[in-house]
Order: sequence, then C-alpha cells, then structure tokens
Amino acid sequence: MSGVDTDVHPFFRFYSAGNFGEVAPQRLSPMSWSLVGEPMERATRVFSRRVWGRCAWAEGSCYVFVGYFGCRPYHNLSSYCALADSIPGVEASDVTAAYFEDIEPPPGIAGVTVPWWARARAPGRVLLELAGTGPRLRLLEARVAELERDARRTAGGGADTAGMLALVLERARAVLVDAWSVHILSTAGLVPARVALRRALRRLVRHGDEVELWLSRPRELVWRRLHAAALAGPDGSGDFLASSFYEVADGHAPWASYAVRQQVVTGTAEDRVDVLDPGVAAVEMLGEHNRRIVTALSSTVGETMAAREHSKSLVMRTLHVFRRVLPRWAVVRGVPDHAWPYLTVAEICGTGRLDVLERRWDDRREACEKALATEMPEHLDLRDPASPRPWLGRGVRPAKGVSPGRATGLVIHPDISDISAIPAEPVVLACVSADADVAPLLPFVSAVVTERGSELSHIAILSREYGIPCVVGHQSAAAIPTGTFMTVDGTSGEVRVHER
Amino acid sequence: MKLLVVGGSGYLGRAVAVAADRAGAQTLSLSRSGYHPAGPGAAGTGLVGDATRPGFGLSGAALEEVREEVTHVVLAFGSVRWDCPPSEALAVHDTGMRTVLASLRQLRVLTRVVHVSSLLVLGRAEGLVGNRELFVGQRFRNWYEYGKYCAERRARDAGDLPVNIVRLGPVLGAPPAGLALDTSHGLLAALPYLLTGGPVHLDRRGHYPCYVSEVGSAAQVIMNALNAPSTGQTWSWYDPDLPTLAQVYTDLCAAWGRIPRLVDVPALRPVLRLASRRVGVIPELLDYSRPWFELAPDILSDLPGDRPVSGGDYVTTTGRHLRDRGRVMAGAMR
Ligand SMILES: NC(=O)c1ccc[n+]([C@@H]2O[C@H](COP(=O)([O-])OP(=O)(O)OC[C@H]3O[C@@H](n4cnc5c(N)ncnc54)[C@H](OP(=O)(O)O)[C@@H]3O)[C@@H](O)[C@H]2O)c1
Repeated sequence: MSGVDTDVHPFFRFYSAGNFGEVAPQRLSPMSWSLVGEPMERATRVFSRRVWGRCAWAEGSCYVFVGYFGCRPYHNLSSYCALADSIPGVEASDVTAAYFEDIEPPPGIAGVTVPWWARARAPGRVLLELAGTGPRLRLLEARVAELERDARRTAGGGADTAGMLALVLERARAVLVDAWSVHILSTAGLVPARVALRRALRRLVRHGDEVELWLSRPRELVWRRLHAAALAGPDGSGDFLASSFYEVADGHAPWASYAVRQQVVTGTAEDRVDVLDPGVAAVEMLGEHNRRIVTALSSTVGETMAAREHSKSLVMRTLHVFRRVLPRWAVVRGVPDHAWPYLTVAEICGTGRLDVLERRWDDRREACEKALATEMPEHLDLRDPASPRPWLGRGVRPAKGVSPGRATGLVIHPDISDISAIPAEPVVLACVSADADVAPLLPFVSAVVTERGSELSHIAILSREYGIPCVVGHQSAAAIPTGTFMTVDGTSGEVRVHER
Repeated sequence: MKLLVVGGSGYLGRAVAVAADRAGAQTLSLSRSGYHPAGPGAAGTGLVGDATRPGFGLSGAALEEVREEVTHVVLAFGSVRWDCPPSEALAVHDTGMRTVLASLRQLRVLTRVVHVSSLLVLGRAEGLVGNRELFVGQRFRNWYEYGKYCAERRARDAGDLPVNIVRLGPVLGAPPAGLALDTSHGLLAALPYLLTGGPVHLDRRGHYPCYVSEVGSAAQVIMNALNAPSTGQTWSWYDPDLPTLAQVYTDLCAAWGRIPRLVDVPALRPVLRLASRRVGVIPELLDYSRPWFELAPDILSDLPGDRPVSGGDYVTTTGRHLRDRGRVMAGAMR
C-alpha cells in the first residue's frame, strides 16, 4: 500500500466521498474498508449485471465503483454517472443531486456505452429487482438477529470458543455481502424511481415539485424501532447505535479519532400531534386516475427509501458483530490487538502464516501513517494519479431544501451538552453534516441546516421523518454563532439571519 | 381587556379591532407590514411583527408590553388563498401556528384566545358534520384548506392555553375604511369571468349553501367567543339565512346590472378547467362547483352570547363596493 492505496481505475478517474463523506468516518482502517468497500463493489457489479447484462467496463480486476485513497473511502463518481446515463430518462445529474452534493457530473468517457436494447429494458429490470427487496430484507433481519445472538454467546468463553468465533465470522461475512447487496440495489434503484415520480408529479399535480418530498416519504423508517430497542437494554438489535458508522476499529488509535459516535435517541418532544400527513392530503386532492398513478409511484419510492435505510441498519448491525468478534478472533489467531485493524477480513479469517501477516500489518501501518497525514479532498480528480486534485466542477452549489417547511428559531450546534440545555424557544440545529450524533436532537429542533449533504442524505431522510425543514449545502452552517436568530426554508433552500 | 389581534391589518382583523373598540377594549393590531389605524372606523394601535417568528417577531418594549399586559388574543393572520402553494400554507398555518402557540405561552396575564378558523377545514366531508368534527376522512380541495385544518388541529391540541375556535365560511361585506377587498382569491375571484357573461358550470346551478357571513357579524361572534366563560370550544358562524352560491353570485353581479350565466352542464367543467387561467379563474375555484358539505342543522344554537344580526343586504353592498372602486371590471376588461 502506498500513499494512494488502491489502484485508480484506468478510465473512471473521478471519485467522490459522497454519502461516505457524510456518515462514514473521514478515514477508515484497512479492516473496515475490507468490510465496506469490497462487498459494495461486488454488490454493484451484481446489480449492473442483472440490469444491463455483462458490460466489459463494469468488470475487471480493478475496482470500478469504489476507491480507497489515503485511507479515505470513495465512490467512483464517473462510473455511477455512467450507470445513470444507461437508463432512459435518467441523467448523471440525478445521481449527483441524490447522493453527491449536487456536484457537477464529471466528463463522460467515450466508448462507455450500453446497447440500446439493454438500455431500453433497464427501467423494467430495476423495478423487478426492487420488487424483491421486501422478502430479502425479512430474511436478512432474521439472519442478522441470529448472528447477534451467536456473537453474544461466544462472549461467555467456553471450550470451543475458537470454533464458534470462526463460524460466526464466516456467517457474518455471508450476511454482510447480502445486506450490502440490498443496500446497493435500493440506493441505485431509488434514482430512476424518483425521476419517474418527479416527472409524473410535474405533469399531474399542482405544486408537484413541492409535494414530492412528502409523497416519497417512507411509511416507517427502521431507525425509531432500533432506537427503542437500544433503550430497552444493551445487547439488543439497537446496540450498534452507540458506536461509529462503518468503523469497526473505533476503539483503536488512530481510527478512533475519525470515528463519529452515534447516540441513542433518548426522548421525544411531547407536542408532536398526529395531523394528517401532507403527502396523503396531496394524493387525496387528485382525481381518481391521477391518484392511482401517483400512489403507485410514490409508494415505490417510499418503500425503496425505507428498504435503503433498513438495509443500511442491517449492514451496521453486522459490522457491529465484527466489531465485537474480531478482537477475540485476533487473540485466537495470535494477531496482537493493535495489529488487526491493519489486516483485511479475508486475511485474518484465512489460513495465511503469521509471519507473512506480520510483515503485512507492519507495511500497512507505515503506509497508513503516511496516508493519514495527507489531506484528501471530498471530490477527487485523479486524471493524473500522481497528483490528485479536488474536483470542483462548476464550483459551489447553492444551498438546497431537502425537507419541506419553514421555521424560525435560535441556532444550536450538536455539541450542546444535553437535551435539557436546549432553549425553550424553537431552535435550529446547525452542523457540518449528518454527524452521526445529531439524531437524538432531532425531536427537539424546529429546523436543520447543514454544510454537507444531498437530497438522500441520512440527515435529509431523518428530517423528513420528523417533519422538520432541512437545508443542506449551506456553506458556513457550522460557523453560525450559537443563539443566532434565523429562518430556514426547507422548500426553497433559503436561510435568513434576523436581527433580534 | 387588552386585545392583541394577530393579522390585525387584514379584512377580519380590522373588523375585530372596530368591534373591540366599540366594546371599550384597548387593541394592538399586529402584522408584518404594520398598520396605522387612521380615519373613520379605524381602531387600535399598530405593531410590526411576524406571527411565524418566536415572540411574534417583536422585541424590546413592544414584546414586553405584549408579554406583560395582553389579556386577550385573536388569531386572524394569513390570507384566504385557495391557490396557495403547500410550502406557504404550512409555513403560515402549521409551523406558524405552532410558533404562535409557543409565543402565547409566554403571555403572563392571558385569559382568552380566539383562533379564527374556516368552515373549509371540512374539505369535501361527507355526511352531517358539526363543531366537534375536524378530520372525518375528508379530502381537501387545496392547500389553504389543509393548512387551516393543521392550524385548527394545533389550536385544539393546545390544551394548556385558553383557546376557543370560531369557524367562518366566506366573509363578505364592505371592508373597513382604507382597505381594499381582495378579489383575486376566494369566491370573489370568479367575478371578473361571471361579469363577462361566460357560462359557469355549477352543480344544481349553484343552488347549495356556501355559508357566507357578513364581516361585522363575524367580528361580533369572535368578540363573543373572547368573552365566553368556557375554553376549548369550537363554534361555527354563517348567515342563518343560508344564501346559496347562486344567490350570492346573482346579488354580487346585480351591482353591474348583470345576471351571471350559471348552468349545470358538467361537460363544461373540464373545458373551464383547461381554460381557467385564460379566462381569469383560478383552477382551485372550480373545485367549489359542487355542494360543499352538510352542516348539522342546530350548529348555530351552540354559539355563545347574543346571535349577531347581519348588516343589511351585505352581499349586494359588497358588489356595489367593488363596482364603485372599479376593482372587478378592470380585471374583467383585461
Ligand atoms: N375572509 C374570509 O372569508 C375568511 C373566512 C374564514 C376564515 N378566515 C381566516 O381569517 C384569517 C384572516 O383572513 P382575512 O380575510 O382577514 O385575510 P387578510 O385580509 O388577507 O388578512 C390577513 C392578515 O394577516 C396578516 N399576516 C399575514 N401573515 C402574517 C404573519 N406572518 N404575521 C403577522 N401577520 C400576518 C396580514 O398582514 P401582513 O401581510 O402585513 O402581515 C393581514 O393583516 C385567515 O386566517 C383566514 O383563514 C377568513
């Protein structure tokens, strides 16, 4: 591993931290990357094969869809844009708006084409794939729960702990691949589904562009259930909520310093009353025919969004199993505790000789130290791999409303000591991004404004779930002084500071 | 009584201020543009604020005065706009209402609040509906109706505040001095087209009630609700004579010596819908061309205080008022 530690794709040379950049730690240990990057790459390849058939450009020994440079996880922006371009009616900018902070799509690559018939059948195939996510998630939920139970059992020690640990790890690897695969499917499928819904709304519904976000809101997100489970006691399905997104070595230096810890939601504001959902009201305003079309499309988007969050939670629960089991397995394998984060899961679970592994972790540690000292930009232009440059496209995008509504209040930041310190007046949460620890504050705030984020960011989805306006991409959100009085318009994206 | 009228520079707000003045109350009229009551029929003191902001968007001495001295509040902010976009409707009536309720909680000597709601919160409700019902599975016609429904939901749920609710149908009557009637929204928006003599489809040729009331009587009901001994009540008010939509349009057009061409030809509905903007009618208006809902017959008997008397032939007066100011025909001629 050198400063840039995986190969740059020979043609697709633009990368973006995208959603990784918001919820994943800025840097990931090699172990975590092997649990995140590799299964994501595999899952995306499977998705593309099932939708378009075999395409030479989406295969090969080099990672096509993800990248790991300077220990930072990236999505391959070029190849995701190429996938989007391969669905009729969908454009690369639909992907960047959904997941990559609306950045300008990089220049396309000549020759990356999909035959017309594969393009034409793609929307149908995506829909077909999406239709299968429900049963897959139900099965996965059961498998993850069993895995968690078995992982807990190994904690007790006993005669065949090593055998049990090996078994748990083997099953966890299989579950992880499946969970990532549903996550990739729902993440990718959401883009064309939203495009179709948006088109229909513009044509059929008055103020269609404004109601889209309500209409596509999932009926229920998995997070509330998991937060409730976390409150019910340790060792349950919500246990992972107190640890970092994606980093399994979050107790180890230097990875601990990058890992943003999540927090469990401990309460809800009382004054939330059930009013009829505006999405339901919007549909009911329509005539019979239009209502049917809009309901079908919006429930597809809503369900896919819910599936995406559900699969994300299953990935995180499985990663949490690794988080707990790997240190003990390292002992069995004779790998020192400080060293396992520098190995990959295949290496630590394989039968390689310890002296070979030892050389590897030493080399990697050195490479990681160098890599961590290098600043890694959010969006990366690697046309010249020897001198990586930030990719800025046309430059800074304006702030964007991602959860509708307008509210005024006093600014607070996520570092507020605890919930009782929130002023009694309406408050606006201003932060860098979906820092994993903002979730507990959401029931108590009237609006959210963040520097980072896209239409389908974690923070956007949570804000819509709580029915509070949210604006992402506000350049200096985190620098707004606490106590500033401001209005956030989650529809237009406008943020206004007032004199008090 | 020290009364704060939120939305005090508006049509209803001014009428309330006049009624309160007559009753000897001291009135503060709050609105974003500010209001300087002057001339005959004007009452109260103007305050520049914003209901959708904490503390009514007030600061300093004005905020202090409101927090320390206001005993009664009337909530009559936000306009009747049937084509209002959802973001606007919710910002004013849902989030705005929640903020207003939070601001009200800081008034130290608050005795009564009246929230001015609309009978249109009942949307396309089926079956008999009364004061108790708010959501009965009705479909809303537009975001104004939905917004007002949210506002009433919030007001009803603010059990810790002494709130009463008054629901009104479309309010008519000459406005207080200095205010021009808004003819771009509500029932009046159809006038320019009606005056051109074009045919308008209304089910049953408009022979169904549209629950109008006269602005002075509406203000009186609001005053009675402010003085009612109980709280947590919802009352409805409309002209007990129950003029039909056809009657209202006929009386309005009479000022120009015209008779509107009201027809029951459902085939016209889609044509008009398609051509609505061109003929100067907002498409949302066409959603009111069917009977609205049916109110429980004894609903007016619940009203507190004396039942007000509507001021003369207020519908014709409204028409004359508009004619004299050339407001409608100018639109019709464009
Ligand atoms: N008129 C009717 O037929 C009727 C019937 C039933 C119910 N209502 C209800 O009665 C209320 C008033 O109706 P109206 O006909 O009097 O409307 P209007 O003439 O348009 O008056 C609305 C008033 O609200 C003020 N306002 C708007 N936004 C505000 C804000 N954020 N903060 C403070 N003031 C604000 C306006 O002044 P600025 O713009 O200067 O702020 C204006 O004074 C509405 O809530 C309406 O739903 C009316």
